[in-house]
Order: sequence, then structure tokens, then C-alpha cells
Amino acid sequence: MSQGQHWREQLHEAAAQGDTASLLKVIRSAVAERADVGDYTLMSRLLKRIGRDEASRAGLRPVRVYIARSVTVESWLPYLAVEAAAAGFWLETKVGGYGSFAQELMSPEGALRDFNPDLVVFVTDVEDVAGGLPDACATGKPELVRAEVERGVKTMEDMLTAFRHHHRARLLVQGLCVPDPPVLGDAGDANWEASESRATQRINEQIAALCRRLGDAAFFDENRLASRFGKARWRDERMFRYCRLSIAAEFFAPYARALTHSIKVLFLPPHKVLCTDLDNTLWGGIVGEDKPSGILTGTDFPGNCYRTYQRYLKQLAARGILLAVVSKNNEKDVREAFRVRAQDLALTLDDFISLKISWQDKAVSLRELAQELSLGLDSFVLIDDDSVECEAVRQQVPGVLVIQAPREEPWRLTECVMASGAFDTLSVTAEDRARSDEYRAQAQRAQLENRAASREEFLASLQIVCRFISALEAPLSRTVQLINKTNQFNLTTRRYGTSEVESFAADPGGLALALRARDRFGDAGVIGIALCRTQDGTCTIDTLLLSCRVIGRGIESALLWYIARWAASLGANRLAGEYIPTAKNQPCADFYPRHGFRPAREAGGKQSRICYVLDLATQMPEKPAWIQTEEDLNNEPGPSCARVNEEFAR
Amino acid sequence: MNQAQAVPESMRNLLAEIFEISPAEVTPGLSAGATPAWDSFGHLQAILAIEEAYGVRIDPQKVPELTSVGQLMQELESLGVSLNHD
Repeated sequence: MSQGQHWREQLHEAAAQGDTASLLKVIRSAVAERADVGDYTLMSRLLKRIGRDEASRAGLRPVRVYIARSVTVESWLPYLAVEAAAAGFWLETKVGGYGSFAQELMSPEGALRDFNPDLVVFVTDVEDVAGGLPDACATGKPELVRAEVERGVKTMEDMLTAFRHHHRARLLVQGLCVPDPPVLGDAGDANWEASESRATQRINEQIAALCRRLGDAAFFDENRLASRFGKARWRDERMFRYCRLSIAAEFFAPYARALTHSIKVLFLPPHKVLCTDLDNTLWGGIVGEDKPSGILTGTDFPGNCYRTYQRYLKQLAARGILLAVVSKNNEKDVREAFRVRAQDLALTLDDFISLKISWQDKAVSLRELAQELSLGLDSFVLIDDDSVECEAVRQQVPGVLVIQAPREEPWRLTECVMASGAFDTLSVTAEDRARSDEYRAQAQRAQLENRAASREEFLASLQIVCRFISALEAPLSRTVQLINKTNQFNLTTRRYGTSEVESFAADPGGLALALRARDRFGDAGVIGIALCRTQDGTCTIDTLLLSCRVIGRGIESALLWYIARWAASLGANRLAGEYIPTAKNQPCADFYPRHGFRPAREAGGKQSRICYVLDLATQMPEKPAWIQTEEDLNNEPGPSCARVNEEFAR
Repeated sequence: MNQAQAVPESMRNLLAEIFEISPAEVTPGLSAGATPAWDSFGHLQAILAIEEAYGVRIDPQKVPELTSVGQLMQELESLGVSLNHD
């Protein structure tokens, strides 16, 4: 039986039983093990059939995608639907016309607006953006090439700026593929200053910069993919000329997977913790058997493969990914290995935030780690060479992303982690870089807590300072990051992009607030966000969230205290809050009742949610005595600042 | 030998998925006109799928004429693909 038929039978079976969870499991396996064209066609059809609601129940995030394009995309759409599902998304797709992309993107009305997409993907070709480029390059006149580059950049800028003006959907813009072979020939293109490849790259750089400026937008570098897989085969010129299909059919799967990775970074934060196994993963061999002197790591082959992987982990740590060891070993052996082989290792034990070295199940170690770090298991990645361990963790802790290390091919270790896209991110914030220090401080706080006589004494000894600033200056990218990744202490779990946050800040009676917290152990950075609107005497708290690592120190009460004072300064006499239960936000379920709010009558929405009110005339939220506050809020009307400052003066 | 068996099994399975029918329905006589999912998009998908599966490149000028399974098989054979042993 062919592999394809094998998948098809399993797929049909899962579909016939109406079992979406097992259908998704087969899809993930098929995608991981190279499915063929028939499989992708079938899988995309089955996915479409389960529908938005069922997909959502099965844990996929529904995303409405509008594709504006000048090339044929229909042929690879089934691949995109399937790759996206394997990564946790259920796509509902609509494709625009070949010749109407500019109008669709720039118009406030029309097909794009009617579809109300969560994401717009713009896929185009050099011909449609800078069609005169090959002719200009062929003349050998740099000024002509420059003019054509400027024209191409302006075309993109006009379209995308107008788009962002009218639409809030996230945006993924595919860059231009550098034409190959070049009109000047390889030697000419390589050496001439105004070559076709330089000109195209310049346009791409400008598109990427434009995406950064627009917000909620990402640049998708098709040219890099084409280079990776081979320019000579990436485009099938025959099919491009015949039906404007710009990618050869053999690359539909990797192309769709790369698109999915870029879609993912627009909607989800990267994983936060990398847990690595030791034997035959971080180093070659088994430390318990080969002794510390016998493990493979260092500058010679194959030890240098492991050392390269260690260096990659260190690079991830530098941008805030937390490293942990999860290994079945004797801790004594491991410590000795790190000591006697320090010269040959690119990491020290201090680079790890936690060591789980014991003989217990790795599933148990991972759960303990999640608890210690106050992080959800879905922010964990495990890299392990043992297929049995991998499968056990997949089954027992389904949230964890498991990557099996290639035991026989250690030179592929780094590539395997990179290919997962688990740590892909659009930007690295200062909070990201400071994260591992923050978690270390967390451990010191825990020690202090154990020593303190009472909880009050412990909290007072922390010397917590909350600083209230505008969510636009958090900076805005940090605000949006928090809004989109915070799950546990998040009252409504509404996911917003930059434009929504900006509108809260700009609206009369609106507030877009960010909270920075620090204590004697360190600066946690911006860890809280609130979005509110005050109208007709009621301040409605649309969004209130706190990073889970600062929960339990009264910081949430300080946030509410600030909101109440701000609302009162605008004449409000009521606070209205709501709690929308999700699978993860149980930790904040009692937030409003705990602060004296009473349940209000439900507003009749479809979602299950609980509405609360607090009458400010009878009860004003208080600031915990152990918290100091500061304020630097520019997007606020004057009176509120005055009021709060008075409060400080007392 | 019935007609369906004349189409190799792998091709039957492939086209069945693309045209949303059962493999048994994929006979040499199956044609675009009589198959709802065999529209212009389905046609392109079938051509791309067959090219991938058999490692061939079909001349785009011939593509519009290949509107039945029998014609597709004939084209493959003219490109040197042996469809007898599947």
C-alpha cells in the first residue's frame, strides 16, 4: 500500500466518524511525513467540511483570509489550508481578482471590506510592481534604475498606506522574487551597481520598512525561500506564462508552510521556553556511561555539531527565550560534565533557568517547570532524541511542542529547531531581552517569601513601584504583544492590533493604559494593560490584563485603583467590568467580586460572560498599602492627572 | 477487465480526490463535461498533480485539449510514461 493511500484511508475514516481531534492528528502526521497532492486536496476538503464552529471547538483558531493578488494562488490554497491547520489555524479564504488588487486594497468599500478579513495576504510579481525594471537595468543607466525602484516602492506604499487607513486586518505582504537569470547575465548582475538583483532587493527592503511602519503587518520574503530551494526550479516559467502560476507545483508544501509561519507570528507570540535533553541532544553520547570525558562536544567532528546547537541555544537566550534542561540522568554526573568539559561546551549551567535532572517522567518535569515559571505548557518546546520520550510527552502534555532531535545526524539539530518556526518573531522587545533576568529575580523573590514572617511583610519588603504610562508608549508593540499573548490573567481575552489600541487612546473618554512594575529585585517592564471608555457616567473596562508572572502582589488592585480615579475625574460614578471565561483565565475569575463589584444583568450577548458593576459613590477601589505609584501619561486629559497627583501628595 | 481497471490505481486515486468522486468512477471515459468538479481550476489541478506524480511536463498548448481521463493517459504514454504496471 502506498503511503498516500495509507493517509487517505485514515483521513476518510476519521472524517466518517466525525472525530475532528483524530482528523487533525492524522493531518499533522501526514504533513510531517510528506503527503502528496491528492492528500492535500483531500485534507483541505475535509477541513472545509468541518466548518468554523467545529474547528474552533477542536482548538483551531479561525482566521478569515483575503488574498489580494496578481498571480494564480488557487493551486496552492489547499496546501495553505492544510499547513495552517497543522499549525493551529482554520482558514476561511477569499481570493480577489487578478487585475483589481490595487483597487481592492485601496478602497474603503468593496469585496475586501465585505469579507471582513482578519488577515489580508498580498501576493504579487515584479511585473506588476516594477514592470520596467528589466528594461531599465538593460540600458546600463543607474538613474533609470533608481527611478524605476522609486516608482515600484511608491506603488506599494500608496496601496498599503491606503489599505491601513481603511482596514484593521493584519497584513502579510509578499516581497518580490529577484528575477533569474538576470538581464545583464550573472557576471554583470553581480558587479554592476544598478543591477536587477540589487534593485529588486532595494524594493524589498523598502516594503519591509513599510510593514514595520504600518503596524500589524509583516513582510514575507519569497526571494529567500526561492534561494533556499533553488531559483532554477522555484518558478516554472512555462506555467507562469501559461496561467500566471508563480511557484512550481513541487514547492507548494514548503511555500505554504513558510507562509503559515509568517501568519503565525502575526497572531501568536513565539514559544517562551526551550527544554533540551542532554544525552545525544545537547552533546553526543551518554554521560552516565561514557563519563564526562567521553561525551562528544567541542571543536572536532562530530562534537562541533553539538557545539553549534549549544551556540544556537545561547543565541535564543540572548533574545529572551528561557532555556531549561529536562533530562533523565544523575545530577552529579551532569554537574561534573559541565565542570570538566567547560572548555568544550558553549553553555554553562547558569545559562539555564531551571534544571530538571532526575529519573521521573519528562511529562512530570515539564508540568513542574510550567508551575515554577507561571507559564502555560503551550509556551514550552521539548527537544529530545528519544522517540518514545517524544511520543509520551506528546500524549501526556499535549500543549508542549515536541521536536525530535536527529540522533544520527547531529548537524541537523539547529535546522530542526529553526524549521519548526517555534521561536519566530517579528521583533525583539526590551522585555524579551530582560526576560531571563526577570525569571531569576522571580526565584529570589520566592526565597524571600519563604523567609518572611507574613505575606504583608513579604510584599512590603519587595518595595513594588507601579508606573502608569500610555499604552502607546509602552511601546505600542509591547502593548499589542501583551494583548495577544496574555491568557491567564486576562478578563476578556480580546485580541487587538495597533489600530484598536490607538482608537482607545484617541477617543474622547477613552483610556489606553500600560503599567510598568519594578521592585528591589528588578524591573519587570510593562506587565499590565487596561483599555477603557467612559461615557454617560459609566466607565467600561473593555480589556484588563496582567502578565502572569506578577500575579498575587496586589498589582492588579493598583491597576483598578488607577482606572477608578481616572474614571471619577471624568465624572463617572460607575465602573462596569466583564469576565469572559476561557479555558485558561480561571486565575482572574474572582477579580471583580474580590474588589467589591456586584454581578450585573447580562447584556444579552451570544458569548457566555459575566458582567459586573461597582458604584464608585459607595466604594472607591483602594491601592494596596505596600505599592508605590508613579505616573507619566500624556494621552490623558488634564484633570485626571491633577487628581491622581493629589492622591500621591497625601 | 472493466473500464475502471484500465486506469492505473494511483491515477484513479489522485483524480478521484481532485474531482471529488470515488476512485471507481475514474474511467478512461470520464470527461470534463460530465464531471462538476472538473472545471478550469480542477483541470489545472489535475494537470499539476499528474505532472508531479509522473515526473513529466505537459506542453501548455496541449493542456486545454486533455479533457478526458483517456486523453490524459494517452498524453502520458506519448511522454514515455508506462501506465501498465502500477
